Amino acid sequence: MRHDFIDRYSRLASPIHSIPPSVKLVGALIILLLVVTMPISVPFLHGSLALALLVIAALSRIPPGFLVKRLVYLEPFAIGAALLTLFQTNGLALFAALVLKSTLCLLTMILLANVTPFADILDVLKRWHFPALLVTTLALMYRYLFLLIDQAERMSRARVSRTFVSGRRRSWHLLGTMVGQLGVRSTERAERIYAAMRARGWR
Amino acid sequence: MHIPDGFLDGRTAAVSAALSITALGVALNHAKRSMPPQRIPLLGLTASFIFAAQMLNFPVAGGTSGHLIGAVLAAILLGPGGAVIAVTAVLIVQALLFADGGVLALGANVFNMAVTGSVGGYALYRLIGRIAPGPRGRLVAAGFSSWLMTVVMSVLCAGELAWSGTSPWTVTFPAMANVHMLIGLGEGTITMLAVAAVARVRPDLLDDRSGRPAQSYGPLLAYGGIIVLGMVFFVSPFASPWPDGLERVATSLGFEEKALSPPVIQSPIADYRIPGLGSSVAATGLAGAVGALLVFVLSFFLAHLLVRDHRQGSPT
Amino acid sequence: MRQALEVKDLHYRYHDGKEALRGVTFSVPEGECLGVIGPNGAGKSTILLHLNGLLPETFNQPPSVFVMAQPVTADTVYAIHRKVGLLFQDPDDQLFCPTVFEDVAFGPRQYGLSEADVRTRVEESLHRVGLDGFGKRSPHHLSGGEKQRVCLAGVLACRPDILVLDEPTSDLDPRGKRELKSLLRSLTATKVIASHDLELVLELCSRTIVLDEGVIVADGPTVEILANEPLMLAHGLEKPHSLLHLHPHGAQRGDL
Repeated sequence: MRHDFIDRYSRLASPIHSIPPSVKLVGALIILLLVVTMPISVPFLHGSLALALLVIAALSRIPPGFLVKRLVYLEPFAIGAALLTLFQTNGLALFAALVLKSTLCLLTMILLANVTPFADILDVLKRWHFPALLVTTLALMYRYLFLLIDQAERMSRARVSRTFVSGRRRSWHLLGTMVGQLGVRSTERAERIYAAMRARGWR
Repeated sequence: MHIPDGFLDGRTAAVSAALSITALGVALNHAKRSMPPQRIPLLGLTASFIFAAQMLNFPVAGGTSGHLIGAVLAAILLGPGGAVIAVTAVLIVQALLFADGGVLALGANVFNMAVTGSVGGYALYRLIGRIAPGPRGRLVAAGFSSWLMTVVMSVLCAGELAWSGTSPWTVTFPAMANVHMLIGLGEGTITMLAVAAVARVRPDLLDDRSGRPAQSYGPLLAYGGIIVLGMVFFVSPFASPWPDGLERVATSLGFEEKALSPPVIQSPIADYRIPGLGSSVAATGLAGAVGALLVFVLSFFLAHLLVRDHRQGSPT
Repeated sequence: MRQALEVKDLHYRYHDGKEALRGVTFSVPEGECLGVIGPNGAGKSTILLHLNGLLPETFNQPPSVFVMAQPVTADTVYAIHRKVGLLFQDPDDQLFCPTVFEDVAFGPRQYGLSEADVRTRVEESLHRVGLDGFGKRSPHHLSGGEKQRVCLAGVLACRPDILVLDEPTSDLDPRGKRELKSLLRSLTATKVIASHDLELVLELCSRTIVLDEGVIVADGPTVEILANEPLMLAHGLEKPHSLLHLHPHGAQRGDL
């Protein structure tokens, strides 16, 4: 499963991984807030945050190549959105500041996702009294996410292998049908999951 | 249209978060009171489905690709309350695990997509479905409302960015709205095709899920109020789409030039002037109106293609 | 000997009106392992769902299913859930929690055990299925065989009296099948196994019923039934390979 990169490093043994998940979550939020609210005019502030993140990255034993790859993949979206700032006075400076800030935020979240298993984050949310239905939905969503992505990929491959005639109309039709089928399959699986939950005593 | 971190100021993030939390509270409350337990796993599974569906790209003009948002599709399958919860779950997981959309921007993203996109789309879908009943009408409703909500969500996005001072309205509105009028075509088409596919295999999944009318008016009114508030905050400060037009009218009628509600940031580059059309903002508004009409007509054609006359034999 | 399970004239209709079960009657004494075989669509899974009271539409009729002499009705269904552990065909339907520990803990937690007791049960059950230390793993990283075993652990953690398994080896590779077989052999609970894997049924089940189009067409000792080639072929099955060569001379003479 290619997409399980999300979980691959979240259970390593490192000083960062052993920090309690609630501390990591709150820490990440604080870093985000600091990055976003502090003025860029004093480079020391953002510079030290960047340094802190790099130190955390190094201590976390996550392969740096992986972190770089994730960052490189996500960066274009931030840059693309930031282009909107160019069309005003001081546009270039604003653009640069925005790109810097969003890069730091991206790095923070990439690190958080890879030093904390999502199941632990869910535990923290439960302890913080997030509504039960929302937490259950998040848990089920996470559990079946990769299964659904796999199904979507398999359907995609089947669609490609059956597209003998490259017709745009045909491929749109197949795309829509795939989405519909995915929807039906997930609904039917939800029904079976409900039966399995009841079988083990759920009310 | 997931807004990353750093693009919104504190005020916008806080206001949108407050609106979103309220809407989520309404949805959760309503679900707790009236959703049968066998549908609880459906929320989580539909959330994974929406996420997986969002990964399927489709080509848009000129080498760019768009992807499905799925808020309206979620609402068609789950009803408004369920969709609010499911799409919020998608956005939370995307922000926390995939760094897709900012964590601090969750308030805005949830408000745009999970609340306005889903509930607004649902209301529009039901409305059109009443005007154009039957399987074809349902497809037209699905297609048109997903197109329109894509544009509406992008306009909200534009407003939030402008309110935050990240970029002036005169830039964000045309940029977001025009691009999403195109992307919305993909969303509308896929939603229509998906609903048609579901209707062929499990038509029972498309039944009205909002519960008995008496039960659902309360939450719908609440959502409506929240959405309107959001529009007031994020769009109406800029919503005079034809400011020069109004000014011209005002002077020609002899009224004093009144400063309309001042834009949040002074753009030294005023609206781009497009000869014959006035400002780019006005041009976008016009394009939107024309586009809406076109899309409505197009969806009728597509619906006809998808639901062949039964007398002619088996459907596609 | 007490009857662990009794099914008396069970009828069931699908939502679309098609009759799935048309008067099914059989019983399972305590400690026995019963095999349920038949072609696809015969109704095997439907019967199994009835054994755990998972089809509430049938509660209106006079009860046709009895678990440990208790009828399965709307009032008793929660007690029935505790007595009967059902292993579904697709482990992904049953493994719905974010970690292995949480999933195995699901049943015990539903029954209100203390966290300490829950932890003990989980560790015990994981140990029984040979998955010690798997607690923190995520389900989507497990192999088919491991998933199947976690599901079994989750069911065992509820300490049921009766185990009902729907196609337990369908997703497994040969090694997974061998491991599951030896595991099931070591469990002394009453068992009902529906399977296409006739070798499995031959090895584990002393008695077998054949289901076709909603009725039981044969009920008897496993070897007798599975060796009856005309019967097997008539109902979309076949004589398992190990019986073909069991007594080469005997098979030619038509007796076993």
